[in-house]
Amino acid sequence: MKKLMWVCLILISILSLFPFYMMIVMSTYFNEDLFKGIPLLPSDYLFENLKTVFKSDFLRVYGNSLVVSITSVALALFTSTLIGYAIAKFKFRGRNFLQIFVILTMMVPTQVGLIGYIIEMRHIGVGNTLWPIIFVWMAFPFGAFFMIQFMRDAVPNDLLECARIDGCSEPGILLRIVLPIIKPGLATMATMVFLWSWNNYLLPLVTINKSDWFTLPLFISNLGMVHRTDYAARMAALAMTTVPVLILFILGSRTFMKGLTAGAVKG
Amino acid sequence: MWPYLFALPFILSYAAFQLYPVLYSFYLSLSDWNGIGEKTFVGLRNYVDLLTKDPLFYKSLWNTLIMMAMFIPITLILGLLLAYWTFQLTRGRKFFQTVNVLPYITTPVAIGFIFSYLFDWQTGLINLIFVKLGLMQEGFYWLQDPWTSRAVIALMVVWRNLGYFMVIFMAGMTAVPQDVYEAAKVDGSTGFHTFRHITMPLLRNISVFLIVTSVINGLQLFDEPKLLYGGWSGSVQVGGPDNTALTVIWKFVDESFISNTRFGYASAIAYTLFVLIVFFSIISYRLSAQKEDKR
Repeated sequence: MKKLMWVCLILISILSLFPFYMMIVMSTYFNEDLFKGIPLLPSDYLFENLKTVFKSDFLRVYGNSLVVSITSVALALFTSTLIGYAIAKFKFRGRNFLQIFVILTMMVPTQVGLIGYIIEMRHIGVGNTLWPIIFVWMAFPFGAFFMIQFMRDAVPNDLLECARIDGCSEPGILLRIVLPIIKPGLATMATMVFLWSWNNYLLPLVTINKSDWFTLPLFISNLGMVHRTDYAARMAALAMTTVPVLILFILGSRTFMKGLTAGAVKG
Repeated sequence: MWPYLFALPFILSYAAFQLYPVLYSFYLSLSDWNGIGEKTFVGLRNYVDLLTKDPLFYKSLWNTLIMMAMFIPITLILGLLLAYWTFQLTRGRKFFQTVNVLPYITTPVAIGFIFSYLFDWQTGLINLIFVKLGLMQEGFYWLQDPWTSRAVIALMVVWRNLGYFMVIFMAGMTAVPQDVYEAAKVDGSTGFHTFRHITMPLLRNISVFLIVTSVINGLQLFDEPKLLYGGWSGSVQVGGPDNTALTVIWKFVDESFISNTRFGYASAIAYTLFVLIVFFSIISYRLSAQKEDKR
C-alpha cells in the first residue's frame, strides 16, 4: 500500500513536470530537427533560438508585462489595504453595509461588464494602451476581503489605542504601526495579483491590438503569425516567460501557499 | 472621518471600473449596437433572439457543461487522493506540494501551446509514442474529434488545477485537530477507514467551496479551448471542430470582439451567463451542502 502510494505520487508529479520539461527541451532544438524524431533529450541550439527571440520585440513586451504587473500590484495593495484597515479597525456608521458591499462585489464575474468596460476605456481615450489592463486591478474585491480578514487577526487594537493616546496622527499610525505588522499579508497578496495579471490573457486580447502594447501572453500567442513558424523559438520565448515566475514561486512558496488557501479555509 | 476617507479609493475605483461597466453593459444588452453607428433600443429582443433563435448558444452551453462534468469530478477525487497521500508523508511533503502547484501558476498560453503540440496529429508526441509502441497504426486526430477535443480541454484543466485542489485539501487537513486522529487510532481505526469516516466528513466545507468555485470558474472557461485552437498550428479555428470546443465565454468574446462587433447581443450573452452562474452555483451549493445534513 505504502509503495503504491509512492509510485502514484511520483507518477503524478512527473506528469505535472513533464510539459515544462518538454518546453525547455524543445527550446534547445533547431526548428526543423524537432519533427525528425521524438525530442526527449536536450540539443544544442538554445543559444540560436534565444537570439531569434531577442531579435523580435521580446524585451519591449517583457517590459510591458512588468510595468502592468508591478503597477497593478501597487494599486491593488493601496486600495485594498486602506479599505481593509477602515473596515477591520474602525467603528463607524455604514461599516456593516461596506462589509456586505465588499462581499457582494466578489460575486460579480468581471466578464459581465467586459463590453461596457472596453467602451468606457475608449471613451476616456485610453482604449488601445496598457491602462485598461491595469485599471481592473484598482478595485480588487478579493484583495479587499483578504485585507479585512488579515488585519482583523494580525493587528492588535491596544496598539492602535496607545498610538492614538500618544498623539500619533491617523495616517501616521497606518504607515508606521500597521504597515510593518501586515507585511506578510501584503506579500501574499502581491504575489497573487502579480501572477494573475502576468498570466491574464482574455482582457489584453480584447483591449490591445497594437503590437507596441502587447503583453507576454498576447505576444507569444501571436508570434507564429508574424515570423516563419519557428516552434523552437516560440518554446524558448515561452520558457523565458514561465521559468522566472516558477523560480519566484519556488523561492516564495510559503507566502504563496498562504495566499492560495486564504479564501478557502475560512469560507 | 478617517475610515470614510480610507474606504474612498476602493469605492471610487469600484464604481468607475467595475460597477459602471456592469450597468452600462446591461443597458447595451437592451439595445442593438455595433460600436460605431446609432444605438437603437430594442428592449428584450436580444435575450429573446439568444434563447430562441441561436442554437449555437445552446451548443456552447452544452459543451461547457460537458467539459465541466469531465474535469470537476476528476480534479476533486484526484486532488483529494493526492492531498491525503502527501499529508501522510513524513518527508517530502513540501516538495510534492510545490511540484504539483507549478502548473497552476503557469500562464495558460504556455499550457495551450504545449498541449496542442502534444496532441498534434502529425508531429505530436502522444501520437509518436503510441505509434512507436505499436498501440496504433497511425496517428489519431485528437483535436478534430468532437469527444477527444473536449477530453483534451478537460485534461488541460485537470492538469492545471490538480495542484491547487491538493493544496486546498491539505490546508483543510492541517486544520483538523491532531487529537481526532489520535483518538481514532486508539479506537482501532486505520488507513482507509479513518479517511472515509473522519477525514472526509471534516473536509465537507472545503469540498463545497471547491465545487462551487469550480462551477463558477468552469462556466467561464475560455483560455484553455481558445489557446488550444489558436496556438501551435497558427490556424485560428473558432470553436474547434464543428464548434464542439466552443464555450459560452468564447462565443461571447467572438460575437463582440473577434468575428463580430455585436455589442448589444454579446452583452445579452454575458448577462444570461451571469444568471446561469448564479443559478448553477446555488444548485451546486445545495447539492453539495445537502449531503452534510444526511450525515
